[in-house]
Amino acid sequence: MCNQTVGLVQREIESNGISTVGISLARQISEKVKPPRTYFLKYPYGHALGELFNKKQQLTIFQDCLNLLESAQEPGIIVDSPYRWRKHKFD
Amino acid sequence: MMVNSFFNKIMVALYHIPWVRNRWANHFSAQESDTIPWTPLKKPLSICKIVLLTTGGIHLKSDTPFDMKDKYGDPTYRKIPSNAALKDITITHDYYNHDDADQDINLVFPIEMLWDAQQNGLVGESAEFFYSFMGHIDKHHIKTLKEQTAKAVAHQLKREKVDIAFLVPA
Repeated sequence: MCNQTVGLVQREIESNGISTVGISLARQISEKVKPPRTYFLKYPYGHALGELFNKKQQLTIFQDCLNLLESAQEPGIIVDSPYRWRKHKFD
Repeated sequence: MMVNSFFNKIMVALYHIPWVRNRWANHFSAQESDTIPWTPLKKPLSICKIVLLTTGGIHLKSDTPFDMKDKYGDPTYRKIPSNAALKDITITHDYYNHDDADQDINLVFPIEMLWDAQQNGLVGESAEFFYSFMGHIDKHHIKTLKEQTAKAVAHQLKREKVDIAFLVPA
């Protein structure tokens, strides 16, 4: 439900003239709620930015989301993160 | 209440299994929309005023915790000063495992990542306050969220001339 709540709040903020980006951990739900810009990660709940104390990973994901704010051209875009949970090495 | 809490712990453990989580998400009756709001980015990120929002149930220790007694959730929000010290922040949310987030709040509220981006000139100043919801919101509380609390937050951000919002689920 957290992903639905993010999407609903995001839609309201965007409707008020503010550009938004949201992380999703449940692609199926984001596809229905339709926030304007979504960065999807196949990560466990409670780990939207990644693993505990993995600053490199967290910075990379944070930066990817900022990049999406700049690059998105179409409403409802969902970008699938390439970083697999506990498989991708952030060097 | 004890029964509720025990049930929540079982569900949280089950949702940690990817197959269970996917199956639940596939069958979840989400709030569907036909249209999508859109506000193009108006200026470079480096001069955009930014706000962080989370649904991770984060709040100041001195603030009122989210309601864990109502099984349909709590559609209210908490304001967190953007200059708050991490030691003053806690989590009240029984619907996900926040053992890791209790140790590293950035997992659901990437405040240190934002500070890093600001120090590197990638993004502009922070809004005066950041905002937190407790994402488990169901039934009649969804209406309250959509028609009252989300609107209230959006209006405050608009008044404060915030340019961009970064939202994180739990």
